[in-house]
Amino acid sequence: MSVKNSLTIWFGKFMVKCLRLIGRDAGNAPGLVLWTLNKDCLKAFKVECPIIAVTGTNGKTSVTNYLSHIFASGKGKIITNTQGNNLDTGICSLLLANCDMKGRVKADYLVLETDESHVPVIYSKLKLETLVLLNFFRDQLDRNGEVETLILKVKKFLETFEGNVVLNADDPNVARLGRANPNNKNIFYFSVERYSGATDEPYEVGEGKFCPFCDTELVYDYYQYSHVGRFHCPKCRFGEDKPFTLIKNVDLSAPSFEADGETYKTAHNSIYYMYNLAAVYTAAKLYDFDKKILHDTFEHFEVNNGRLETFNIAGSELMVNLAKNPVGANMTLRVMNEQECEKELLFVLNDNLADGHDVSWIWDINFSIFRDVTRVVTSGTRAYDIAIRIKCSGYDPDKIVVRPDLDDAMEELFKNSGRKFAIANYTAVQPTRAAIKRYKERREANG
Amino acid sequence: MAELKLLHMYPNLLDLYGDSGNVEILKYRCGLRGIELKVSRRIIGDTDTDFESADIIYLGGGADLEQQMLADDLLKCADGIRAAYENGAFLLMICGGYQLLGQYYLDSNGEKIKGLGLFDYYTEASSDKRKRCIGNIVIETKIDGESYKVIGFENHGGQTKGVKTEFGKVLAGNGNEFSSAIEGYMEENVIATYLHGPLLSKNPKLSDRIISYCMSRQTGEKYTPAAVNDKLEEECREVLLERLLGEK
Repeated sequence: MSVKNSLTIWFGKFMVKCLRLIGRDAGNAPGLVLWTLNKDCLKAFKVECPIIAVTGTNGKTSVTNYLSHIFASGKGKIITNTQGNNLDTGICSLLLANCDMKGRVKADYLVLETDESHVPVIYSKLKLETLVLLNFFRDQLDRNGEVETLILKVKKFLETFEGNVVLNADDPNVARLGRANPNNKNIFYFSVERYSGATDEPYEVGEGKFCPFCDTELVYDYYQYSHVGRFHCPKCRFGEDKPFTLIKNVDLSAPSFEADGETYKTAHNSIYYMYNLAAVYTAAKLYDFDKKILHDTFEHFEVNNGRLETFNIAGSELMVNLAKNPVGANMTLRVMNEQECEKELLFVLNDNLADGHDVSWIWDINFSIFRDVTRVVTSGTRAYDIAIRIKCSGYDPDKIVVRPDLDDAMEELFKNSGRKFAIANYTAVQPTRAAIKRYKERREANG
Repeated sequence: MAELKLLHMYPNLLDLYGDSGNVEILKYRCGLRGIELKVSRRIIGDTDTDFESADIIYLGGGADLEQQMLADDLLKCADGIRAAYENGAFLLMICGGYQLLGQYYLDSNGEKIKGLGLFDYYTEASSDKRKRCIGNIVIETKIDGESYKVIGFENHGGQTKGVKTEFGKVLAGNGNEFSSAIEGYMEENVIATYLHGPLLSKNPKLSDRIISYCMSRQTGEKYTPAAVNDKLEEECREVLLERLLGEK
C-alpha cells in the first residue's frame, strides 16, 4: 500500500474514532473530509469481494434492501448502505467504518445503492462486478440536470465496463445502455409482460419517446406505467433484444408473478414494485441463490422506511410512500385508486436542497384520476404549491386543508378514521414517519 | 357557451418543467367563468395547424436536445405565428419558447440557432456551461397599470439581451441575465419569460389578465372576469413573498 493510501486510511479511522469518543455518529462526515483531502481516497480501500451496485431514478433503496436481504440469507457477511447514503462520500464513509487499519474491507458481498451521477466516479476506483440499472425518469432537474445528461454519464462508464449489467429492457432510457460496450457479453435484460393495468396510450409524461440511435419515434405495443412498456424502433429495431428474465402473469390480486416457470407470491401489488422485484430476481439469478430464499423474501420481506409502509393508528390504516418525482407520485395514486373505498390523502412537499428547490414537477402528476378521495391534507415547506396543483386539476378546493406543520397535519388527517394514503418527497419522508409516530404516541398516551 | 382557442406548440417536446400546467390553469380558470378553452396542438411535421383562429399561442420550455429537434419545424410556422401576433392573438412563451421567438440563440458550443425573429432580443449562453441562473425569483410587473408581484422559478443558461420592454423588474433572483435588473419581455399581447413554476400557478391575476385580454378582443367590449375562490393562491403568495423577499 502506498504511503498516501496508508495515511488516508489511518487518518479516516482516527476521525471516526474521535467522533465516536465525543459521542457523535460518524455518518457522512468522514467520507466528505477524506474526499476533500484525497480525490482518489476510494483507491485506498482493498475490496476483494464482489461489489453489486444498484442505480436508477426510482426504486434504488428498495432493490438494494431486497438484494441485501437475499445475499445475507444465503451467503454470509454483506456490507450495504440500506439507508440510502448513496453518494461518493457516503460510500466512502461506509467503507471506512467497515475496514481494518490496512484498508481491507472484509465481507462476502458489497451491495451498494449508488446515485446515478456518482456511478462513474465511484466505480472507476472500486472494482464493480454487477451493475443493476432500474430506470431513468425526470428527477430533481435543478440538481441533476436533464435526464439525457445523466444517461450519457452512465453510458460513458459502461463503454469500458466488462462486468455484469442488469438492465430494464422495458425502459428505453435504460435498454439503450446495453449497447454501450459491444464487446461486453454480460448483458442481462429483464422484462415484465403486459399486466392488467397496462394502457395502449401513455398516460403520464415521460422521457425517451425517440430512438436514441436513429431519432425515429418509438412504437409502443403497450405502456405499463410512464414510458416503461414494450417498445421498439421501427427503423433500427432497437428494443428487440431477448430478455434474460421474462416476468409473466403479474397478478395484482394474488399478488404474485411468474419467473422461469415458478410462481412467486409477493407482499405488495403495484406494477412499479413488480419491476423492482424483476431486477432483484435477475441479479439474484446471476449469483445462483436457492429459490426458497427468493420465495421467502418476495412474500415476506418489507423495506418499510417510507416505501409502501403501513401504519395502523386509532382504527385507520395509513400507507406512506416516498415520491421524489412525478412517476413515483403517479404510482402511489394508482395504488390508491385501486382501493375500492373512500380515502383521504396527505401530500407532504418540501423544497430543500436534497429535494431540488424547484417543485414544478408536481404539475406532471396526474391528479385527474382521483377516485373517491374525500379530503386532501397538504403539508411541508411547499404545502400551498401542492394544494394549488390539486385544486387546478379540478378537485374541490373546499376539501383541501393546508397544514404546513407536520404535527398539525397529523391532527387534521386523523380527525376522521378510515383509509389513508400519504405521499412525501425526499426530505419529507423521514419527518413524516416521525410525525406519524409522535401522533400515535400522543393518541395512546391520551387513551 | 363562450369559447377561447389555445394553440399549444410542441406539447410533447416543450414540457420540461411542468410548463403544460399553464394550459391546465388557463383551462381551469376559463371554466370557472363559463368559458370553454379549446386546446389544439402543433406537433413536428403537422401541415394543417390553424394559427389564424388561435386566441392564445403557447410555447413552453424544453431541453437543449428537444429545442434543436423542433427548430426547423418552428421556422415553418414563422408566417402563421407572425400573422396571428399582428392580428392581436396573445403569445405566451416560457424559457425556450421565449428564446426561440427572438433573433437567435447562441449556444454554449458557439453554435447559432436562428430564432423566429419576431422580436429584437437575442440570447447567448454563458460561456461556462455549469453557470446557470437557477432559483426562486420574484419580479414586479404591471397589470392594467397596477403593480403585481410575479413568483416563479428560473433555470436557464441563456443570457437574453436587447429587451426594451421587459415583463418585470427583478425583486429577487437573476432575470434575463445574471443579476439582471429586468426579466422577460412584454407587449400588450405578449408575455415571454424565464419563469417556471408553472408561471400561472402562483400568479392568478396574470391568468385573468390573459383571459380578459382575449375575451375583450373577441367581443369588442371590456371583459372583467368574475371573482373566484383564490384563497389557496393568496395564502401561498403571502408565505412565499415573505420568505423570498424577506430573505433578501
